[in-house]
Amino acid sequence: MVNVNKAFATSGGKVLDDFNLKVRPGEFVSLIGPSGCGKTTALRIVAGLLSPSNGKVVVNGQDSLGPSRDKAIVFQHFNLFPWRTALDNVAYGLEIHGMKKKERHQIAREYLSLVGLSESEKQFPSQLSGGMRQRIGIARALAINPKLLLMDEPFGALDALTREYLQGQLARICEERNLTTLFVTHSIDEAIYLSDRVVVMGVKPGRIIEEFPISLRKPRAEYNFRAEPEYAKVREEIWELLEQQIRKTSEAVAV
Amino acid sequence: MSAAVGPYDSLQPTSRIASRFATRKNALRLLSLIVVFSVWEILGSSNPFFASHPLAILEAAQADLIPVVLPAFVTTIIALATGLAIATPIGVGIGFAMGRIRLMDVALTPYINAIYATPRIALIPVLVLWLGISFELRVTIVALGAVFPIIINTYAGSKHVDSELLDTGYSFTANSRQILRTIVMPSSLPFIFAGFRIGIGRGVSGVIVAEMTSALTGLGRIMIENAKYLQIAEVFVSIMVLGIFSLFLFEGVARVQQWLTPWGNTERLR
Repeated sequence: MVNVNKAFATSGGKVLDDFNLKVRPGEFVSLIGPSGCGKTTALRIVAGLLSPSNGKVVVNGQDSLGPSRDKAIVFQHFNLFPWRTALDNVAYGLEIHGMKKKERHQIAREYLSLVGLSESEKQFPSQLSGGMRQRIGIARALAINPKLLLMDEPFGALDALTREYLQGQLARICEERNLTTLFVTHSIDEAIYLSDRVVVMGVKPGRIIEEFPISLRKPRAEYNFRAEPEYAKVREEIWELLEQQIRKTSEAVAV
Repeated sequence: MSAAVGPYDSLQPTSRIASRFATRKNALRLLSLIVVFSVWEILGSSNPFFASHPLAILEAAQADLIPVVLPAFVTTIIALATGLAIATPIGVGIGFAMGRIRLMDVALTPYINAIYATPRIALIPVLVLWLGISFELRVTIVALGAVFPIIINTYAGSKHVDSELLDTGYSFTANSRQILRTIVMPSSLPFIFAGFRIGIGRGVSGVIVAEMTSALTGLGRIMIENAKYLQIAEVFVSIMVLGIFSLFLFEGVARVQQWLTPWGNTERLR
């Protein structure tokens, strides 16, 4: 089975310090923290788009520095290829892996239908709404059947209603497929809604300061989990930690 | 949310307004054409040897168009097309090489800038010595004129690729050849077309000048011959053939571009 754990420390300005995180197979882990805490840096190092100054990333028992076929990333600004149709965007990873056209289109169609966009397969991203574009971004990442799904504030650029809707869809897909996910966000609510564990990061240097397991029953879309006492308690605790960190940043600016 | 209505389906009213607007635009163009030609006719017919006038040009066209101008035009077009056919792949190739390989960039940029700023006409005397008054000379002038804007625009295009899209490619483990084919090339296509359009303009003026100074055939030659005998109306026949040809050429290029880049723009979509 999938076993993800990674450990690295980055010096040189100390964007990240002594960052150790293990993500278990099938687990959904959120990284939350104020701007500048290095959560996106951490995600990009795991993705292999940045190299750590020391330390390593281990996926499934093997060192995994650099991009690899078992990791897929969903970007904040979607990063769809404007010159590819919805179908060819979803098929991109498979095409890069050398899969034949007929085969990769067949798989891409499955994933388009998973995100409810079967009818848009011939459309270009410019013809689709922001929410539809990010569903294609998610389908593109899932299509290569990654062992680890990385999401960098994927709903940050969307309006509140679309965001709520896509959170529900993502929660459903992650549960159905038992995906292992590392999710970067600014939103406490989003983190609690989706996660098995919320990891709170602090600033200066960027590091992990606390972890909160979320034991609220899943699927959370089926009941009002926000009315549960655990939700209010965890939300309050996370907010207190984050508030301290944000104050730390703004004081530094004031001095 | 699952309703996948194409944006064009919902744009019906807008497109009707757009088509009405297009009709009005065409009417306006026709009107301006009539006005310009009428004024020219009135002013020009009082001094036909200086400016000529549309009716005289029409008369000259009836006599000259088929037997004289068209064969010369064909000669010109063949030289132009050959020159562009040589310049385009070379320009695109060098542009990408300079954009993607640092060594090529550093080594070639000074030459490209120096030659681009030099008037190609200055090269004609040397090229005549090397190639003679020949088809090859005209093709070379066209290719030299067209290749530099294509190089420079392709280079600019390959430098303007969205770094986030490149990261996306890398994250899916694309190698440098796949990055070039799936990201750099499509992203650069609009830039290449911009360069190609400038290249066409420089190619057309290049072939005409080459014919005027050092050829026995072609539209440029015919214009010089006619001007020599003060046959101004005949000169205008050639000029108009060239003008109408350019109009269709650019329209054709715009359509090819539309067909090759149906996605609209290359801005990353947010």
